[in-house]
Amino acid sequence: MKTRLLIAILVLPLLAAVIVGLVVFYHLPLNADDPDPIQPIAFSHQQHAGELGIDCRFCHRSVEISPVAGIPDVDLCRSCHLYIAADRPEIVKLSGFWQTREPIPWVRLYRIPDHAYFPHMMHRHAGLECRTCHGAVETMVRTHRVVSVKMGWCLNCHREHGASIDCWTCHR
Amino acid sequence: MKRRTFLQLSGMTAASGALAGCQKGNEKLIPFLVPPEDGATPGIADWYASSCSQCPAGCGIVVKVSEGRAHKIEGNPRHPVNRGKLCARGQAALQELYHPDRLRAPLKRSGPRGSGQFSPIGWDEALAILADRLTTISAEGAGRRAILWTPPLHGYLADLAARFGQGFGRLSHLAWEPLAPAWRRGSLYGHEARIDYDLENTQYLVSFGADFIETHLSPVRFGNAFGRMRQERPTVRGRFTYIGPRLSLTAASADRWLPARPGTEWTIALAMARRLLPGIEARTLSAAGLDRAELARLVEPYSVSAVAEMTGVGAADIESAVTELAAIRPALAIGGEMLTAQGNGPAALRAVELLNLLLGSVNTPGGVYLTRREENSLESSPSEMTEALAAMQAGSCEVLLLHGVNPAYNLPPGFGFARALEKVPLVVSCGTLLDDTARLADLVLPAPANLESWGEMIPAAGTRGRIVGLMQPVVQPLYDTRSFPDLLLALAHHPGGGAGSALPEESFLDGLRKRHAPGNPAAWNEMLALGGIFPPQTAANERPRKRPLERPDSPAPAGNDPSFPLLLQVYPSPAFYDGRGAALPWLQQLPDPMTTAVWGSWLEINPQTAARLGISHGDLVEVASPAGSIRLPAVIYPGIRPEVVAAPLGQGHQGLGRYADGRGVNPLRLSSQPETDGGIPFLATIPVQVRGLAQDGELVTAGHSEGSYRRELLGI
Repeated sequence: MKTRLLIAILVLPLLAAVIVGLVVFYHLPLNADDPDPIQPIAFSHQQHAGELGIDCRFCHRSVEISPVAGIPDVDLCRSCHLYIAADRPEIVKLSGFWQTREPIPWVRLYRIPDHAYFPHMMHRHAGLECRTCHGAVETMVRTHRVVSVKMGWCLNCHREHGASIDCWTCHR
Repeated sequence: MKRRTFLQLSGMTAASGALAGCQKGNEKLIPFLVPPEDGATPGIADWYASSCSQCPAGCGIVVKVSEGRAHKIEGNPRHPVNRGKLCARGQAALQELYHPDRLRAPLKRSGPRGSGQFSPIGWDEALAILADRLTTISAEGAGRRAILWTPPLHGYLADLAARFGQGFGRLSHLAWEPLAPAWRRGSLYGHEARIDYDLENTQYLVSFGADFIETHLSPVRFGNAFGRMRQERPTVRGRFTYIGPRLSLTAASADRWLPARPGTEWTIALAMARRLLPGIEARTLSAAGLDRAELARLVEPYSVSAVAEMTGVGAADIESAVTELAAIRPALAIGGEMLTAQGNGPAALRAVELLNLLLGSVNTPGGVYLTRREENSLESSPSEMTEALAAMQAGSCEVLLLHGVNPAYNLPPGFGFARALEKVPLVVSCGTLLDDTARLADLVLPAPANLESWGEMIPAAGTRGRIVGLMQPVVQPLYDTRSFPDLLLALAHHPGGGAGSALPEESFLDGLRKRHAPGNPAAWNEMLALGGIFPPQTAANERPRKRPLERPDSPAPAGNDPSFPLLLQVYPSPAFYDGRGAALPWLQQLPDPMTTAVWGSWLEINPQTAARLGISHGDLVEVASPAGSIRLPAVIYPGIRPEVVAAPLGQGHQGLGRYADGRGVNPLRLSSQPETDGGIPFLATIPVQVRGLAQDGELVTAGHSEGSYRRELLGI
């Protein structure tokens, strides 16, 4: 009886410590992705989408026909900036990329893990605005991540809109 | 170290490891510089039709491409040969495109020959070296020549290569590779005929060493047809007997396996003919140009009991097979590489083909269909190959240009290719990887991968009538490469080349388009989308040849030479074919269907023989022949005759990229066949001796040879 008590006194706190440790570990902000990274070219959505009012789809062209929205090709950036503000330092950087025939290594903000399927076009067809997930991009001088893409966040929105929450909807 | 310090340190290590696992950092988003012209949408895949060139079967493929990258190959459902199916070799062709050791620029030898030291040069310099040499040879004339060595070529490429040879003069073309259908020379069907077995409609099939599920002629087509023969008809399940000393995957799919001694398989064919002959109508015989009395004399000695003696197979088994064949129609007999790759091959093949004449199974449902091959072809005979080697040895060949062949690897050493190569001043090799032969070359020219090339693929078997599969680049070429036909054109148009008039086309693509859809871009695009030109099948229009029938010689039986008592059978590997697939890791990782071995070579030994020699599963053994010896792990394999051992062809490369280089051994090194011996490599009968060396041969298998692991753990 005594030994059992002793074991309980020794082991139970240890067990509790391990459980608490695991819970803390789970909630630690261990995601090392920078939510507000510095891009190779200081592109401002505030200027392009906000002040100039360019439609998102002018650059992100495949958002309504493809799972991915698409990043504009360097040729598209250049087609305007060949004439517009061609002498500004950031645009000079852009022409630099074009001249060395290198694509611009933009830093990724959002990433859906491989085990989940997220089609942009279906969400657009359902009538969702870009800002619903990406926030007020037209006010961002430097674009930052506004949501952390986790399953709970997906599910909440799916429930709100009455979209399917079947496992197979996304994990396929 | 104190206990406390140790615990602290290990705790810190664990924590930092756990944290580091999460720190991935941001990925990059790489956009196009300029979007592709055909309007590819990011995230949406396009499928392009093309043709597979991993073996001569010429299956149609469709390739999934997204964001300009190819990432999956499947069979083309609209291609008449493979009808949407594809084998492992075809699937793995994707890795040819992305192979990390691909040649990216022309290379010029910088060290002694064979040292593997090369330095990159520009295309201009490489073309100048080759063109100058070719021009000098054609100008200086008599007694000097260049040899162009390729696999058999068909259609436009054959035509282009022939014109190239004429344009330069003094250039002889050798179109030969070891597994090319040269083994069908001397057959009753005529080796020029296009063969299609109507397996779907046959009721009784006998295969004499034809492994049609793995490698024989058109494995995807015949594998699919075999499935239909077994299961497509509601009331009939076609029956199948396999004759040959080793249980291949094809043999394992048969109802009955008759493990005849190597070199005696044909006697069973003659025993069958003997039984059939009395029931054959005079009409059938005269239609086939056969004489009853002459045939009767030929088959007389082959009674079932005599054949049982010769083959070492039970008389009751042979009797059942003979009785079934005599009773069931339609029936079909096919002979393949393992029958013909031995000394009496051509005559043995004729004995098998004779059976079809007697069965009335030529150009009839459930039989073999022969159609004339109308396309122009370049296919050299084995004797032309030995002549070319003799010319090289005599020093009269000044340039050897190789494309798509690897004779340093898959030609038995007795043919003396290595010796012959030493006498050639300029050896040029074109390919995607630095293979065994390219390592011995002076100049190596990088070729585009199959998925980056234009081309035609005209199947030599598996269709009735000529169909043309088209190959198109499905991605932008990754490196500074030139395809073989475009190389020929560049050489012909080189300043001072002087062969430009014989090859007026601007590019291979230009010629290809003019040939198939002159002035009609819409029709051309339709052909590309379909994957080729597939006219309806023509009626069988080729008749069997009349050739004198003779008894095949009996090759020396095993045990004739007491110091080399066993016979080694080298069979084309289901994964690597003639060795070309060894470069691709997916194929290396593909478990052999019979032994589950991966990533290496092995020797299959009958359990009785192994017990006698004291060898157990996985031991390292040495196989020696008069020509040399090799070391490899043993696989105890009940599906093989006791006096026969077998090893797959395909491993043991020196070169061919990081996955193949130095892996396993090349069993052809044991062949002591001299080049004077007909020119067909005898893969099936190499006399050897085997001895155990050590316990651990480092055999890697994907499964447990004796059943599941669990069974062993449980001790049942």
